[in-house]
Amino acid sequence: MFRINLNKFKLLFSLFFTLVGLAWAGDGAKKILDAQGNPIPHALIKVNGTAPIPVNDKGEIPAIPVQEGEILVFAMGFETKKLSTEEWRQADAVVLKEKTGSLQEVVVAATRTDRTVEDLPMPVTVLNSEQIQQTGGLRLSEVLREQTGLQITSDHGAGLQMQGLDSDYILILLDGEPLIGRTAGTFDLDRISVSSIERIEILRGPSSAIYGSEAMAGVINIITKPVDEQTQLDLGLRFRSFNTWNPYAEVGIGNEKWSAKILYDYFSTDGFDLTPENVGQTQNPYQAQTAQVKLGGKISEKFDLNLFLRGYSENSSGQMQTSGASPEMLAMENSRQDFNFNPTLRFRPSENLLFTLRGMSSWFSTVSDTRFQSDGSAFDFQDFNQFYHRTELQTDWQANSRNLFTLGMGHLVETVEATRYDGLNRFDAGYFFLQHQWDPHVKVNLVTGLRADFHNQYGNRLSPKISGQYKFSEKFSWQASFGAGFKAPDFRQLLLNFNNAASGYYVFGALLAEEGIQRLQDQGLVARVLIQPETLGNLTAETSLALNTGFRWKPGAKWLIQVNAYRNAIDNLIETAPIAQLVSGQNAFSYFNIRQVVTQGVETDISYQISPHLSLSLGYAFLDSYDKDALDRIDAGEVFKRDSQNRTSRVERSDYGGLFNRSRHSGNFKINYRENWTGTDWALRAIYRGRFGFADLNGNLILDDDLEYADGWVSLNLTVTKTLSSGIFLEVGATNILGTLTPQQPNNPGRVLFAGLRIPFANLIQK
Amino acid sequence: MKTLVKPLFLFLSLGFFSACSEDTPEPLVPLEAVLVEDLAAPNDVIDRVTGQVTEERPFQFFSLESNSLVSESEDWDLAFKGTTIRVNASKDVKAAIVTGIFEEINSVPSSAVFATDTESTFAIPTGSGSGWYNYNPATFTVTPIPGRVILVQTAAGNYSKIEILSYYKGNPPVAEINPMTTPSAHYTFRYVLQANGSMNF
Repeated sequence: MFRINLNKFKLLFSLFFTLVGLAWAGDGAKKILDAQGNPIPHALIKVNGTAPIPVNDKGEIPAIPVQEGEILVFAMGFETKKLSTEEWRQADAVVLKEKTGSLQEVVVAATRTDRTVEDLPMPVTVLNSEQIQQTGGLRLSEVLREQTGLQITSDHGAGLQMQGLDSDYILILLDGEPLIGRTAGTFDLDRISVSSIERIEILRGPSSAIYGSEAMAGVINIITKPVDEQTQLDLGLRFRSFNTWNPYAEVGIGNEKWSAKILYDYFSTDGFDLTPENVGQTQNPYQAQTAQVKLGGKISEKFDLNLFLRGYSENSSGQMQTSGASPEMLAMENSRQDFNFNPTLRFRPSENLLFTLRGMSSWFSTVSDTRFQSDGSAFDFQDFNQFYHRTELQTDWQANSRNLFTLGMGHLVETVEATRYDGLNRFDAGYFFLQHQWDPHVKVNLVTGLRADFHNQYGNRLSPKISGQYKFSEKFSWQASFGAGFKAPDFRQLLLNFNNAASGYYVFGALLAEEGIQRLQDQGLVARVLIQPETLGNLTAETSLALNTGFRWKPGAKWLIQVNAYRNAIDNLIETAPIAQLVSGQNAFSYFNIRQVVTQGVETDISYQISPHLSLSLGYAFLDSYDKDALDRIDAGEVFKRDSQNRTSRVERSDYGGLFNRSRHSGNFKINYRENWTGTDWALRAIYRGRFGFADLNGNLILDDDLEYADGWVSLNLTVTKTLSSGIFLEVGATNILGTLTPQQPNNPGRVLFAGLRIPFANLIQK
Repeated sequence: MKTLVKPLFLFLSLGFFSACSEDTPEPLVPLEAVLVEDLAAPNDVIDRVTGQVTEERPFQFFSLESNSLVSESEDWDLAFKGTTIRVNASKDVKAAIVTGIFEEINSVPSSAVFATDTESTFAIPTGSGSGWYNYNPATFTVTPIPGRVILVQTAAGNYSKIEILSYYKGNPPVAEINPMTTPSAHYTFRYVLQANGSMNF
């Protein structure tokens, strides 16, 4: 039983560091091979329940003394094989069958310990480097958009939508540490370059029980390429439509104790324009650079240290036009910077105990400078600087083979200084979380977690979660989890001090509202206070309760069917509302916990391996969402709509289409084919996004009219790759081959062609 | 200023009137709905950076009784500027906002609360969602809220019901409004005036 993490970690650990020392070969040796006859260098052999013995890097194991009993041969990603001593003696080679699907991938994000998908009682998907490569994507958004149930929306950047919830409610982690820097709530996935990514973990459903705020819809954990002992120098160049260039370099060095990986990635694009009749491009030209250093090593037998540094810098420029009778041209220069420094120290005093001390610091800044083109005078200038620091200690204690406890505690400091905020603002918070992974029975496993957050500005929160799995058989397992999620009010909602000079309205963060209204009153600007000042400022976190349940079913060796159904009930959603009417007729606004929203749906992935060279997969997501307040108002007969002939009618429940920008139906169909004669891999994908509401067009601000929907569409994508025997990797392909243009989805540029090349120089030289 | 007037004939409430006609000898006069198109009421010009009004624009004063723009000194009922609509407090013009379908509102409901403007309040509240319009932050457009009907007691004391149809020049379909290029602050609205002083339309 290797379900529980520390054992597995230990195994991997021992494997990793003993690999080089072991060089058995020769007579009596046996090979562990996969179905294609290739050695499996990470296979392990276990004799009569003793400690597992790893094979060498050629997949070989020397003659080992075998008494009567049984021999287990296993390797991650393969079906375990049981042999009698007689069978073992007679065999020259043992062939392991590959497991179907990606259930064997190790996931860190779900429990903050290493655990395979198969053993996790919650819905998790892992994209490995091969799957990432097949998308041909250069930025993270282009990889995630092909996954079942995920959508990329265009709102202040490429935002992710998961389980019908927006980017604001999805926590993005880089090697387990949160990424900061959101614009209007959106984390722009285009800030992440694909070249640095080894693996992506997608965890659906709320995970506030271990991550706290933001992990309401789910978590995306980006795992960057690991350090290893190999000397490596990879140079790559990727090119595609719109004059987009992406050269990158990856350098790896290391010895038995220390290793480092350095990555540099440059990205430049001319952008594209879907509305050439208007001034300004749909996507402005921009250049981005990512540099990343990862350093890992063993200080002593029991201590190891990792350092991670990452810097990102982006510049874009564009044009705009003012509205009005005599429009003037404006030139925009925008830039973004982002820097991360994450040291991690691991201490393993015994086999059953692991302490992890993490420090994490992030800086994020944006500058937006807009000037009149005629004389260069300032039109608008905004800057934004955010700092985030977190120190955390995590303790994993393997009480016995069935119980693993994780205790974490930490504190965080967050500061923001920006054009729209007064002075330097600071948040302080502390938290602890406790998690228990328990295998009470060979068929049952449970993960229970509880996290407490203490925040100096908006108060305290408790987030529980319980997940369970029952394995009816090797072929069928059922999972269910129930948990709470929350999202803390952000700086904007608490501390914004914004005055739109042109239209004369004010927006105050909840903490500044009372003071702001007082100031406006003193200036004689307030006509009427709409909400009494004493009720202002009581902004609480947005909360959710969610149920996820589904199954993993392998009806045959070549099949894998995964289904997850969910329901998220979200309360206290924060919205702006007027707090005072001004003498000018305009309003002053602040933030309130107002709305209640529900998202629910079913997500299904079916994969079928027709032959070793051909596999198919089908994904489908059904999503239903609604705003409870909108439904109540419809039921009360208070909502009307007007058609193009100015006829007004009442909106019925059947007219209501739920939240904007959500597709009720979406899915994908993927074919992977290995063409033997040329040695090329073909990945053809059809990604379907069903119709979705894009904007209110009849004045009632809800989605209730056919005109308010954008048509559904299919993006047909093809990637062809080939790895030469020298290790040189080639790719060519196209996305949105049909060239479908979707004006309501401004992140779709139309047809994109691409080609790429990666040369592993170190390999070439060593040969 | 071109204010085109198109009479629309409404035969509403005929059934109601004929049912009561045995007791009420009043002649049946179907009320006309008047359509006012493109009443231009530009807002002040405001410097985007400083917020200072660089050019103050006048309110546009409108008389429902005469269906025309009038001067401030005359018996105006409503005054328009930008999204703000004032009522003539000096002539005790009152307004109430009710929810319903314009054609179906055949009398002033008892629940309607009439008010006039004061120094600090507006009978027709300003701001998105609270008065006659919604501001859609996704499309940057101002759209009249469907089902909002403004009831006005005019300077002459008669009751009128008003439905605002568009804030953009030419009353374009909302899908065709480009907030950057379509001229705004051009009101298109229709109204029914009951000139006999009764509360029925």
